Amino acid sequence: METSVLSTKDKVIRILLVLFLSVLALLILYPVIYITLGSFKANAELLVGGTHLLPKHFIFDNYVQAWKQANFARYTMNSIYLGTGVMILSIFATSMAGYVFARSSFPFKELLYSLFIAFMFVNVGSVTLRPLFELAVKVKMNRSLSSVIFISAGTGQATYIFLSRGFVQSIPREIDEAAKIDGCTFFQIYYRILLPLMQPILATTAILSFRAGWNEYIMPLVFTMSNDKLRPLTVGVTMLKNSGDGTAAWNLMFAGAAISIVPIIVIYMLFTKYFMHGMVGGAVKG
Amino acid sequence: MKQKHHDFGPSSVLMLLPSVFLLAVTSVYPFFWLFRYVCYDYNGFAAYFTGSYNFTHMFSDTVFWQSVLHTFEYAGMKLAIIIPLSLIVAVLLTQKLPGTDAFRTIFFLPTVISSAIYSLIFGFIFAVYNGPLNAALQAIGLVKNPIDWLGNAKIVMRSIIIVAVWGGLGNYMIFFISGLTGIPSEIYESCKIDGANGIQTFFKITLPMLSPVLKVILMLAITTAFKDYESILVLTNGGPGNRSTVMFSYIYNLIFAPSTPPQIGYATVLSIVAALIIGIVTAIYLFFARKLDDVV
Repeated sequence: METSVLSTKDKVIRILLVLFLSVLALLILYPVIYITLGSFKANAELLVGGTHLLPKHFIFDNYVQAWKQANFARYTMNSIYLGTGVMILSIFATSMAGYVFARSSFPFKELLYSLFIAFMFVNVGSVTLRPLFELAVKVKMNRSLSSVIFISAGTGQATYIFLSRGFVQSIPREIDEAAKIDGCTFFQIYYRILLPLMQPILATTAILSFRAGWNEYIMPLVFTMSNDKLRPLTVGVTMLKNSGDGTAAWNLMFAGAAISIVPIIVIYMLFTKYFMHGMVGGAVKG
Repeated sequence: MKQKHHDFGPSSVLMLLPSVFLLAVTSVYPFFWLFRYVCYDYNGFAAYFTGSYNFTHMFSDTVFWQSVLHTFEYAGMKLAIIIPLSLIVAVLLTQKLPGTDAFRTIFFLPTVISSAIYSLIFGFIFAVYNGPLNAALQAIGLVKNPIDWLGNAKIVMRSIIIVAVWGGLGNYMIFFISGLTGIPSEIYESCKIDGANGIQTFFKITLPMLSPVLKVILMLAITTAFKDYESILVLTNGGPGNRSTVMFSYIYNLIFAPSTPPQIGYATVLSIVAALIIGIVTAIYLFFARKLDDVV
């Protein structure tokens, strides 16, 4: 209907615009395609370089080598642990906090809430990792990634609290009232009644916090400086760049980078909606 | 009528405890810790009182002040490209063009990838003698000799901006799209009837209607651009020389560089100054954004 009223000039403009968007899309996709296809190339072919995207022969040796010799099995497990840990802790802490901030009333509630939001904007860079590292050593949490999980969840939680609070506020209070009359306590209303209704916001929190944990770089870099076994993929792969045998390890870095980005891209393709919703809800309306 | 539905009880306290604990340990405690070593030379093992030395040293530390300039340069260039570009893309993606959903998914994709990893990938793409970017430019005859994207002091910042725009475009696009979908479609229809063309509609209707959202997005973009440094650490680690050192990458290396002894006391002073600089820039921005409100 609408297209039928377009003039020829409008049609030409629309075609040009789509062309512009397509070129931009190719530029955006290029690094991802380049690294994924490159991870199947032999090291010699990578070092010669050039514009050829497709490998001459598809070889899986890079992955085998990365997995077996270069500790990538370990790094991958660590990344999964980090991502899931941050995800579980974030869902657990922020869904309850969002509920309390939306439904409970107590003195200084708004002040406490704004403290959460304020610390989202206070940014003093990596220097805060130093006291946290010293603290982790003191409580003997520096021998596992759990300290990194706590810090990642702690520094990222404000957005999710904000989202959960907003979501609970949009649920009619009559539901709470009815449950209260039926004898539910404050916690039971959350656990039995609201939590199932909060599913969309829990999914958003789960996905965004998993991504945050999976992609964390500087913090695990600092915390695993002297402990190779604890490194997640992000740190393990970039470390190869600085290690002595630089060019010899290109194929390993390609395979490692692919192992790091492909899972998160697949998750993104499956749950695109949640990723975008979380970004918008958490940022613009904040 | 407002009514208190649930009073503050022990269950509320318990349910808030995990979040409050995390906030206290991971944000509040390190923030106040910052002020502890301001007057000390602290290398991680021993702290020596040095009085005002850290402050006087800061004023004569040319590398730090260069890094402040580089931060402004980086933030300015990044914003000048990423904001208009993401706005254009967002406007185009709300015009019911074919393939809109696919474009949206593709443009947002970089935001799910770790900046450390995509910076590593761009490191390969920028490689001097065997990188695909130089190879492509030479193949179509745009350049004769390969360009040293990350090693040439004159262009390193531009290369870093390319990576930053690649990584952040999708974010701002989504923000703008959400702002644009809030503009009622009747306005556009009446505009069409009045015979306005696309460009007129954009400047007379879209931009003014978008301005409240635009202000929030700009503030987010400014604060983000000033604190970016992860990508720079991976791409150049501040080099060549200190040409791509920004405030936070300089501070990071003062504390965590493996080759030099940590200067933690000095780094806390610089961190506080860096946070103040960002705070002042944000305040100035907010002041002008409000002024703009009075005019329009």
